[in-house]
Amino acid sequence: MADYISLFVKSIFVDNMIFAYFLGMCSYLAVSKNVKTANGLGVAVIFVLLVTLPINYLLNQYILRPGALAWLDEKYASVDLSFLSFIIFIAVIAAIVQIVEMVVEKFAPALYSQLGIFLPLIAVNCAILGGSLFMQERDFVNVGEAATYALGSGIGWWLAIVALAAIREKLSYSHVPAPLKGLGITFITVGLMGIAFMTFMGIQL
Amino acid sequence: MKDFNLKETLLNPIFKGNPISVLVLGICSSLAVTVQLKGACVMALSVTIVTALSSLVVSLLRNTIPNRIRIIVQLVVVALMVILVDQVLKAFAYPVSKTLSVYIGLIITNCIVMGRIEAFALGNKPIPSFLDGLGNGLGYGLILIVVAFFRELLGSGTLFGFRIIPESFYDLGYMNNGLMILPPMALILLGCIIWIQRAIQKDLQEK
Amino acid sequence: MNTNSNVYTIIYSTILVVVVAAVLAFAASALKPMQDENIKKETITQVLSAAAQADESVTISEDVVAMYAEMAVDAFYVDGNGVIGEHMNIGKENKADIKVESTSYLKAQNDIIKKIEAGQTELLSTLALPVYVIKVNSLTVNVIPCYGAGLWGPIWGYIAVAEDGRTLDGAIFDHKSETPGLGAKIAEKPFYSQFQGKKFGEGEKIFDVVKGGANGAENGVDAISGATITSQSLGKTINTWAKYYQPYLNSLAAQTDTETEESAETEENAEVEDATVTEEE
Repeated sequence: MADYISLFVKSIFVDNMIFAYFLGMCSYLAVSKNVKTANGLGVAVIFVLLVTLPINYLLNQYILRPGALAWLDEKYASVDLSFLSFIIFIAVIAAIVQIVEMVVEKFAPALYSQLGIFLPLIAVNCAILGGSLFMQERDFVNVGEAATYALGSGIGWWLAIVALAAIREKLSYSHVPAPLKGLGITFITVGLMGIAFMTFMGIQL
Repeated sequence: MKDFNLKETLLNPIFKGNPISVLVLGICSSLAVTVQLKGACVMALSVTIVTALSSLVVSLLRNTIPNRIRIIVQLVVVALMVILVDQVLKAFAYPVSKTLSVYIGLIITNCIVMGRIEAFALGNKPIPSFLDGLGNGLGYGLILIVVAFFRELLGSGTLFGFRIIPESFYDLGYMNNGLMILPPMALILLGCIIWIQRAIQKDLQEK
Repeated sequence: MNTNSNVYTIIYSTILVVVVAAVLAFAASALKPMQDENIKKETITQVLSAAAQADESVTISEDVVAMYAEMAVDAFYVDGNGVIGEHMNIGKENKADIKVESTSYLKAQNDIIKKIEAGQTELLSTLALPVYVIKVNSLTVNVIPCYGAGLWGPIWGYIAVAEDGRTLDGAIFDHKSETPGLGAKIAEKPFYSQFQGKKFGEGEKIFDVVKGGANGAENGVDAISGATITSQSLGKTINTWAKYYQPYLNSLAAQTDTETEESAETEENAEVEDATVTEEE
């Protein structure tokens, strides 16, 4: 249990998708102009991560990694399909995103119209694929760990985008040098937030 | 079909319409590889190849792709290119591919690749699409290399792993800026690059 | 043609999948031998670099495979009880036959170790930990690997242990994704050169990587400042793996002791024996 809590906290604060790995920066910068839409996208990311990561974990464990096919028959034990992992992961993610998109369109049209083109772009959100690739690299012991990691990093991403949106809302009233307006100051803000998040680096639970 | 000035198509994205600093596309993961110049160069090259080739392929297929599965088809084409690049790197440039680790795979979701396919390759002939992809890849690489240059020089005192700042400086009390090698500095450097670019090209400034 | 009909979409995606799968399968199988060769060369380079630290005059040549074939004396697996199992090909007849175990093998072994740590001690005899015996000029060293989790991803390394099963002659470490300039320094010379001349301890603390650890302690080196977690993880990794090599290393130590006793006439050897005795106290 302690392992799960440690993994959870670490993936929110220490291994933060945005501040430590720059994952999902495109939509992060584009949709962080106000807190409400930022919140919507953040929740969508948590949800998609939470669904895709365990699925990809199982696929990796039982199909993709070297020797994974041994459960079918001993003679497949030497098969290594890991070269297919990128394409399988992205296909799973794209399919799930498509489903989420349909569900949101049906049940929350207001949210759908706000998120606009960014919902289909979650498929190409680096945070989602990045989550799966890091999962593959870190080889978690079981699905539970993979899901914990997904939830933690999703919440980390959500936290980062909501915080940035709040700062940007305030920032629009301040006097920023003209060339820095908009994008420039946003980058610098994210950098400073990242430095602030580094204070969590030493924590161990 | 519009006629394009091919040279313009290639050169525009490198400076005036730079995908990172102007269009805010594809900053995603790749900044994480800018700690060292070598990694950044290989990353820049890989992104350029992937963007150019997938733009070319999608442009060739553009009239046959069923609209409903458009995004998936594009993703498959991009993923194909990325896996090929990854496999080739593993076979011929193993040490570099090791340092880039998952970030090669993340080229798939690099917004710049998909962004250019959606915005350009789907509606244009193969040759301009190829050049557009090439130009955007190069423009992207340029930023990566500039950021990596400063991070490696100030953070480790080396360039391409060779010592640039002489030992005598260290004896005089000079220290590497440890902050430079931490992830947030990449963003702050990028902010500064945008600052400089927009101070020069006033028409890019946001209101 | 109607590109939006269901039939067209399905046929289109089928063809796409088949074409893409064919291209990928072809590329992957065509490049596989080269990739495996790269991984093998990397492992060999690391084994040799650890061993070569025993003698400063030895430098790693470009052709590591040939160098390994020349210098390797033996390579085999030991289990957790110190029993020597199967031997690996060291390429005395044909360089292409050389077999070394890459990090993916170490990872699999590490998974078994984790299970043993969790209490499944019956797995001790199923361990097959690789040992590479390398002759560096007049010295013979046993190169043993270690593998574990660092701050961000896996870290691993090779440690060269002298014939007495205690003294370290060299070490080299590598990592997948530690922070460059901080944790990544475990792969740099100032860090790994500290290991030369250190000794594995007895009991629970076989080896340690701690702040100020170099304070005279024989079984510890100084941690990297600013990279506490990587250093601690490395210490733990070395300690854990060394624990399972301990039975084998002990048998080496016992051998050396008897040999020393047999030829204890010369003054030099007597001194060595003295040193061993003091150490055991």
